Amino acid sequence: MTIADAVTDAIQTVLRDTARDVKAIEPSMLLATDLGLDSLDLAQTVVLLERSLGVDPFRSAANTAPRPGIRTVSDLISIYTAASRTP
Amino acid sequence: MTPSTIANLADAPAQDRLAAAICLIADKVPDRTAIVVDAGSDTRRAIDYATLAAAVAKLEADLDALRPMGVVARARNVESLVVIAAACGRQHVPVAFLPEDARDLIGELADWVPLDDSLVVPSGAAEGLPRGEFASVPAQVVVATSGTSGPPKLVEHSWDSLLAAARLAEQWHGLGWLLVYDATRWAGIQVWLQAVLTAGRLVQPASRNPDVVARAVADEQVSILPSTPTLLRRLITSADRGLLATMKIDRITLGGEAVDANLLEQTKSLFQGVRISHVYATTELGEVFRVTDGEAGFPAEWLGRPLPGGVRLSMRRDGELLVQLSRDTAEVATGDLVEKRGSRYEFTGRRSDVIVVGGAKVYPRRVEELLRSVPGVAEARVYGLPSAITGELVAAEIVVSDPLPEPATPDNVRSAALAVCRERLEPQSVPRVLDIAKRIATTAAGKVPRRSL
Repeated sequence: MTIADAVTDAIQTVLRDTARDVKAIEPSMLLATDLGLDSLDLAQTVVLLERSLGVDPFRSAANTAPRPGIRTVSDLISIYTAASRTP
Repeated sequence: MTPSTIANLADAPAQDRLAAAICLIADKVPDRTAIVVDAGSDTRRAIDYATLAAAVAKLEADLDALRPMGVVARARNVESLVVIAAACGRQHVPVAFLPEDARDLIGELADWVPLDDSLVVPSGAAEGLPRGEFASVPAQVVVATSGTSGPPKLVEHSWDSLLAAARLAEQWHGLGWLLVYDATRWAGIQVWLQAVLTAGRLVQPASRNPDVVARAVADEQVSILPSTPTLLRRLITSADRGLLATMKIDRITLGGEAVDANLLEQTKSLFQGVRISHVYATTELGEVFRVTDGEAGFPAEWLGRPLPGGVRLSMRRDGELLVQLSRDTAEVATGDLVEKRGSRYEFTGRRSDVIVVGGAKVYPRRVEELLRSVPGVAEARVYGLPSAITGELVAAEIVVSDPLPEPATPDNVRSAALAVCRERLEPQSVPRVLDIAKRIATTAAGKVPRRSL
């Protein structure tokens, strides 16, 4: 499973668990505006991704530097791609 | 003075009572079974009162000869713990009971001698004080707290406070008591003291497996079942139906955790005519009160006025229950949160269990109760998962009923549980991680653990 697939799966699970429409996820989609994800949804996504990818880039000590805004699905994919490369 | 009947035991000094009871019963009915260990299994073993009395006499003689400063009971077998307690009490030797997870605390009792299942007092034990009054040493009985909230710590008790809740009246004589608690902790000690003081039969199952417990109860004619709500729930949801049907339970005394109305209803319908009480006690305070009407929580009118016995309950503005044991003792914050529901105060959880999600408080007990009310959910545990985004996140695991009624599947029980939570709870309280588990782990004290494991 690619990181992009894992991110897509996690978001779809969040939408399904919260009884929202599960739509096709595009990398360009805005997390808040297009998908309606709030901070709880994002926190759940991060837990799900920690389970599927084994990393939590938001908790690792290496990531204390200010992060660029995470606005789109592809921002999320980039962060996990970077974190998976530097375990 | 040696009491001639069990009912007269209360006239003897508290520290002498256990040894006096064992001798008295061994004298009258030497063959009577005092303790059954490994009940419900092939390695079942019974110990009678004569055997206990002989062991107590031998240990008393050794203690009298060596006079140690104190004894740390490191025995694993419950019959050894009974003997150690009885002998130390009557010989006025302080005794400490340390469960496995509190063994680190032994440093605090460096001058005391350890006593294992051999019941042999190590020779060369530090010379202690001449036999006298307990007043010359700081404690009579030392027990560790359960560590539900924070690391275990040692608490000192007198024999009077240890035996304060024991009931010696005739209606309590000769009954079968189940010991599912750890025998070295307050709750477990209370059960074996009560059973042995009243010529009863203490039945310790070989494990906490629900089928083993049910078989022990059925085979050994246990009629009194002291338990935590978690262990009772596991028994009635998971044990073999046939075994449950053969159990003849008169009384269930619940403690250690708050009880919910759902469990009380299930229990009443399964064991017709059973009397259910729940005990509110802490290792520091001992038994504070007992609710015997079979309803959850306690009557609202108990708050703010002295109860029989002088206990006074009050509530801090944030809902924490405060207890004052008597007029001349300090008010103690219990760490337990209560909330008024109708004519009752019900427990909403431990202060330290609160999960903080994005600054909002979530009470895990409330979420657990709701999950358990969903058809197909047998057990539930709610805990906080750390999150860099919201601080914590509510996580839960559920055990689905076995067998599940057709056409339900574990997956649609899970979806139904989430739907009920979404409908009934604030957004931050809805579990964001909901796993289906084979069983819910419990702590050594038989409670549901609250933090992620």
